[in-house]
Amino acid sequence: MASSDLILTNVTKRFGGLVAVDDLSFHVQEGQIYGLIGPNGAGKTTVFNCITGIHPCEEGSIIWQGEEIRLLPTHKIVQLGIVRTFQTIRLFGQMSVAENVMSGRHIKSKQHWWNGIFHTPASRRDETENWQAVFELLEFFELRDYATHTVGSLPYGIQRRVEMARAMAVNPKLLILDEPAAGLNDNETLALIETIYKIREQGVTVLLIEHDMDLVMEVTEYLTVINFGRKIAEGTPSEIQENPAVIEAYLGSEDDDF
Amino acid sequence: MMKKIQHIAYPLFFIVMALLPALLDSRWLVVATTFVIFTIVALSQDIVLGKAGMFNMGQALFFGLGAYTTAVLNAKFGWPILATLPVAILIPAFFGILLAGPIIHLRGDYLLVATIGFNIVFVQAVQNNLGGITGGPNGIFGLDMLSFPGLASFEHFMPYYAALAALFFTLFVINNLESSMMGRALHYLREDDLAAGSIGINTRVHKIFAFAMGAGIAGMAGTMYANQYSAVSPEAFDFIQSVLFFSIVIVGGSSVPGILLGVFVMFVLPEIFREFATWRYFIFGFAMIFTMILRPRGIWPAKFGRIPKAFTEKGRENGQQ
Repeated sequence: MASSDLILTNVTKRFGGLVAVDDLSFHVQEGQIYGLIGPNGAGKTTVFNCITGIHPCEEGSIIWQGEEIRLLPTHKIVQLGIVRTFQTIRLFGQMSVAENVMSGRHIKSKQHWWNGIFHTPASRRDETENWQAVFELLEFFELRDYATHTVGSLPYGIQRRVEMARAMAVNPKLLILDEPAAGLNDNETLALIETIYKIREQGVTVLLIEHDMDLVMEVTEYLTVINFGRKIAEGTPSEIQENPAVIEAYLGSEDDDF
Repeated sequence: MMKKIQHIAYPLFFIVMALLPALLDSRWLVVATTFVIFTIVALSQDIVLGKAGMFNMGQALFFGLGAYTTAVLNAKFGWPILATLPVAILIPAFFGILLAGPIIHLRGDYLLVATIGFNIVFVQAVQNNLGGITGGPNGIFGLDMLSFPGLASFEHFMPYYAALAALFFTLFVINNLESSMMGRALHYLREDDLAAGSIGINTRVHKIFAFAMGAGIAGMAGTMYANQYSAVSPEAFDFIQSVLFFSIVIVGGSSVPGILLGVFVMFVLPEIFREFATWRYFIFGFAMIFTMILRPRGIWPAKFGRIPKAFTEKGRENGQQ
């Protein structure tokens, strides 16, 4: 089981009396673009928090590359190649775009703790190599012109790209995107779709939550739909579009609004 | 433009500081030495508070620990002052790890209260003559002075130049920190430690590193302080001192010029305006309040975007095309 598959089996997460994720199982295969969708409050982000160790789940198992990662701390999970972005962008606001992306190089850096006190030729070389990697990523995400800009003062769409660049700087095997198109205009969304394809071409598996159904139906190869923390359907985008349970969940939630 | 000013400002600062004793009488030499030593402590506080964003209000503890290490080793065991210096760095650094370990997960105000607690415990311990070696409320006096063969006639200036050498060393180390993986990690922790963890940074280890490094540098300043007065006593490392170091970083801003400015305002200006007696503190209180209202990130806040030149110049060329 050395392939980079992510397998969730009977994952349950409770917050007090509330069951946020209920007996959820799904299987993301290496190289897939996998979608997780559902109405608001369905527990999608909680699933991501369980996978990335921010809120470890109480029951079930999460297998990554054949190993149980359910109870590992966040930074260990990242070291195994799983990196995420956040629904509400979480960047280092006062710092520059390049420094933000550089943070993703942290665990790839070969510097020792004492290089924070004294530099050595090796640590200087490592520093340059990492900056080189950062600027290649800035090129890839078309962020080069913003390299020295303070990230907090940039438009939303650019901040989204910086966050993805930062995640990609870790060289992940699985990239988890939490609503990457939220707040983007149509052009930016089209560019995002291109970017997701390009990331996949590099051999990175992508797992994403998204509300923009056009984007989901366009890019994902396989989908799991959840509502109230439970899986209600799974399949290819065309299967999902015709699934009566999914239609009811989405239309039903719209009925509630009236 | 800003870069050019910095290129001139640092050598100029070094030259002025090196020549300063020639212009000062003995009272002002003491003030200048104190300024240099307190700058080192404030810079060490900045690593924990300014860079890593942890509310530590017990930095005087590590300052005192370094001073007492030097004093005890010199007075009780006859070590030369210079030989005590490495120990006075390592012991506070070790205690930094030991004390930070169990409290490092605390946030903001909770951490602040815990560090105040440590500071109070430390002062109580040395006041009560812990282990019979700290000399109780009077402290330890009659220490040797740092001296080098052949420089006996300059002994008068020795505390100042020793402290200045320690300051230059501190600036060198902080400069290295800023351009290393560890230093940047501390900034990421301050900005958003959940995001920092989500890109693989072990937040706990890096926070403890910041504490240990800050403690080691403060310990080195402690040796210089013991050397300056040939004595140590508990009240110099009281909790109120920690409050001052904390305020310097907040008011000055988390940058070397900001800290220099902060220490100058807090420790040197009161000496200059001595004739105004207690009124000067009244004015300082208001100055602190207005600084916080008008410049919430300090007088001279930290600047980011320190990217190796090779890359930024390439970026600019691309921008022009």
